[in-house]
Amino acid sequence: MPSYTSSSKGSDKYGRPLPDTVLRGSAWVGLLVMVVLMSGWEWYWRDYGSVPAYRNSEGLWAIQRRRIDSGEGNKTVIAGSSRLYFNTQLDIWEQESGQRPIQLALEGTTPVPLMEDLAQDEDFTGTLIVGVAPGLFFSGFEYRGKAFERYKNESPSQWLGQKISMLAEPYLAFYHADYSLFTVLKRQKLPERRGVESASDVRRLSMQEKDRATRMLPKLETDESYAQIAKEIWAEGFVPIDQRSEEELQERLENRNKQIERAVTATKALQARGVEVVFVRSPAEGHYAVSEPMYNPREETWDVLIERTGAIGIHWMDHEELQGYWLPEWSHLSGSDADRYTKALYHVIERERARRQAKEAR
Amino acid sequence: MLFNSLTFVVFFVLVLALHYAPFSWTTKKTNLLIASYIFYAAWNPPFVILLWLSTVIDWHVAKRLFVEDVKTRRKFLLAISIVVNLGLLGYFKYGEFLLENFIALAAAAGVAYQPPEWNIILPVGISFYTFQTMAYSLDVYLRRAEPSKSFLDFALFVTFFPQLVAGPIVRPSHLLPQFATPRVATPKQLYWGLALMTIGLFQKIVVADGLLAPSADAVFGADEMLHPLDAWLGTLAFSGQIFSDFAGYSTTAIGVALTLGFGLPDNFRFPYAAIGFSDFWRRWHISLSSWLRDYLYVPLGGNRKGNLSTYANLMTTMLLGGLWHGASWAFVVWGGLHGLYLAAERWLKARFGKGLLWGTLPAQIFLAVLTYFLVNITWVFFRAGDFATAWRMIVTMLSFVTDGQRVLPTIHVLETVVTIGVMLVIHWYMRERKLHEVIGRLPTWILGPAWGVMLTLIVITQGGSDAFIYFQF
Repeated sequence: MPSYTSSSKGSDKYGRPLPDTVLRGSAWVGLLVMVVLMSGWEWYWRDYGSVPAYRNSEGLWAIQRRRIDSGEGNKTVIAGSSRLYFNTQLDIWEQESGQRPIQLALEGTTPVPLMEDLAQDEDFTGTLIVGVAPGLFFSGFEYRGKAFERYKNESPSQWLGQKISMLAEPYLAFYHADYSLFTVLKRQKLPERRGVESASDVRRLSMQEKDRATRMLPKLETDESYAQIAKEIWAEGFVPIDQRSEEELQERLENRNKQIERAVTATKALQARGVEVVFVRSPAEGHYAVSEPMYNPREETWDVLIERTGAIGIHWMDHEELQGYWLPEWSHLSGSDADRYTKALYHVIERERARRQAKEAR
Repeated sequence: MLFNSLTFVVFFVLVLALHYAPFSWTTKKTNLLIASYIFYAAWNPPFVILLWLSTVIDWHVAKRLFVEDVKTRRKFLLAISIVVNLGLLGYFKYGEFLLENFIALAAAAGVAYQPPEWNIILPVGISFYTFQTMAYSLDVYLRRAEPSKSFLDFALFVTFFPQLVAGPIVRPSHLLPQFATPRVATPKQLYWGLALMTIGLFQKIVVADGLLAPSADAVFGADEMLHPLDAWLGTLAFSGQIFSDFAGYSTTAIGVALTLGFGLPDNFRFPYAAIGFSDFWRRWHISLSSWLRDYLYVPLGGNRKGNLSTYANLMTTMLLGGLWHGASWAFVVWGGLHGLYLAAERWLKARFGKGLLWGTLPAQIFLAVLTYFLVNITWVFFRAGDFATAWRMIVTMLSFVTDGQRVLPTIHVLETVVTIGVMLVIHWYMRERKLHEVIGRLPTWILGPAWGVMLTLIVITQGGSDAFIYFQF
C-alpha cells in the first residue's frame, strides 16, 4: 500500500515535463518586448490627450462612502449624477466654506438609492447636496449601481487590490477603461450588420483625484472633434416623445412618480434626523435642452419634488449667477467654468439658506 | 483571491520570496499553509472555518479508518467523512435548489408552502476541496493508501492555494508525497511555471473575458428569438469562453505550483479536437472525470456487470457530474446529454466500431466535427440557466429561420469567428502533441517576443478582475 508521506520512489514522477529549450533567454526577451510595447502604448495615449489620474472605480467610491462611517458623517456630501460630479470643484468649495465635501455622485446613476442609504445611516448628520439630472433622477437608472454592492460587500482582496491599483493610477495615462484594448476595438468603425442595435460607450470625459474631486478632461476643451463625439453619443438613440406608444408613456409616468415618491420619503427621513437636503439642477444645453423638458417637464418633476420635500431647490434657470457657462459637450462644465460655477453655487445655496432662516425666524 | 488581480501579484511575489528564503522545510510548508488560508480568506474570511472543518474531520476519520478492521465501524467512519463533506456541499450549494423543488412539489400537491428567503452565500471552490478531501478518506477506506503521518502536510494538501478554489482536483497520492521532502523549483521549472502562468492568464483575460465573453453575454442575455447566426456565434463563443476560462485557471494554477517546485496534473488536453465523447472526457476537466470514474463509476460497478448496468452507471455518473457543476436542472440536463452521448458512442462502437472506414482521416474529421457540434448543444443548457432560454436557442440554431433579431455587432462577429477558428486549429494541431514539446522547439527569437506580446495584451486588456466561471461551482 503506498504511503502518502513517502516520496522515496522518486519525487520527479510528480514533476512536470519541461520544454527542451533555454527559457531564461526567452523570458528576458519577453520582458524587454513588453517594456518596449508598453512604453509605446503609454506614449500613444499621452499623445492622444489622456492625463494620468485616479480611476473612477467602485473601490474608490467605496473608500469615500466609508468616510461617513468613520467619523466624517457631519460633512457636506455631494450626491447626484455626472453633472454635480464634474461641476462641483471640491477645492473651490473648500475655499469658500472651509470644509471639503465628500464626493459621492456617480455618473449615469440616479442619486435616489444613495439618499435612501444615507437616510438609514445614523452616522450621517451633515448636509446633502443632491444633483438632479432629469433623465436619470426621474427614471431610476443606475449605470454604476455596483458601487453600492462594492461598499457593502467589499472583500479583503478587493480592498487591497484597490490600494495597490491606486499606487499606479496617477502615473499611467493608458490605465483607464476607455483605453482598454477591447474597448478601443469595439469603437472601430466597421460596416454594421443590418438590424443590429448597439449603443456606443460613453468616452472618457473627466479626471479624478484621490478623493474623487473631478474635473473635465482638457481634451474636451481643446479638441472639438472629441467634444463632437461626446455630443453624438448623448444624442444617440433619441426618440421624440410623440413617437412613443401610449403604454410606454404610461409606464414611464408611473416609474417617474415612483422615483419622486422614493426621493420624498428619503428626504423626509433625512430631514427628520436634522440633515439638510439641497437639490440642485445644473445647466445643460444642446440635445438636453430639447430632450429634458420633453420627457420631464419642470412643473411635473422638479417643482413637484421641491414642493413635496420642502427642501432648498436650486435650479440654474432661476439664478443668473448659474447661467452663461461653457459646456463643451452640452452636459458638463469646462474645468475653469466649473471653478466659477462652484463658487457661484455655494453662494446661491448660502443665500437661499439665509433667506429661509430669516423667513422661519419671522 | 483571483489570479487575475493585482492583489494576487503582490501575494505571489511574497509567497515566492518566503519559499526561497533560507527557512527549514517545515517552516516553508507552514508559510504555504498560512498563505493558502490568506488566499481563501481574502474572498470571505469566515468561510475558512469550512476548510478547517473538512481538514480536521478527514484527518481523524482516515487515521481511525487505517487501524480499524471491523467492517461496520469502517463504514460508519467513512459515512462521517461523506456526510460532513457532502453535508457542507448540500447545505451551501444545493440547499436552495432542494427547497425550490420541495416548494414546487408541495404546490403540485396543493400545499402552498412559502419558507423564508434563502440567503446563503456559496463558498467559493467548495465543490473542489470537498471532493479532494473525500478522495483522501476514500483512498484509506479502500486500502489504496495509508493516511498521511503529518497533519501539516495533510492540511496543506486540503488547502494548497494554487488549486484550492477551481482545481485541478488533486489526488492525495499525487500531492502529499511532494510535501514530504524539501522542494524548490529549478531555474527551468521556475521559468516554465512563469510561462504557464502567462499562457493561463492570457487565456482568461484576453481570450475568455476580452474576445469571447461579450458575444456569449449578448446572445444568452437576449430575451427574444435570434437570428441563427447570432445564436450559433453566441454558443461557439461560450464554448471557447468556458474552455479558456477554466483551462486558463488550471494552467495558471499548474504554473504557480511549478514556480514553487510542485507538480500538478494536467486538467485539459485540447478537448475541442476530441473524436468521440470518451475522448472528450479524457481531455476536458480530467481531474473531475477521473475522480468520478474512480470514486463513483467504478464503485457502482463500472462496465463489469453487463451492458445494461454499464449504461445505467454511465448515466448516473454523468447526471451527478452535471449536478456537481451547479444546483439547477439545466446542469443535470447537461450531464444527462453527455451521459447519453457516451452511452450512444459505446453502443455504436460495439455495433459498428470495427468498420475499416472509421480510421480514415475524413471519417476522423467528420467524427471530430460531430463531437464538437454535439458538445456545443450541451453548452447551451450549461450557459442558458433556464429551459426557456435554452429551448429558444436550440430551436433557433436548428431551424435556420432568419427573421430573428441580430444582436451581435460586426466587431463581436469578427472576434468570435477569428478566435474560435484559431482555437480549433490549435486544438487540432495539438491533438497528439504536448505543449512543452512544441514550445521546446521554438527558438528564442520567436518565443521571447511571443511571450512579451502576450504579457502586453494581458496588461492592456485591463481585465476587470472578473471571477473565473468555475468559481461558482
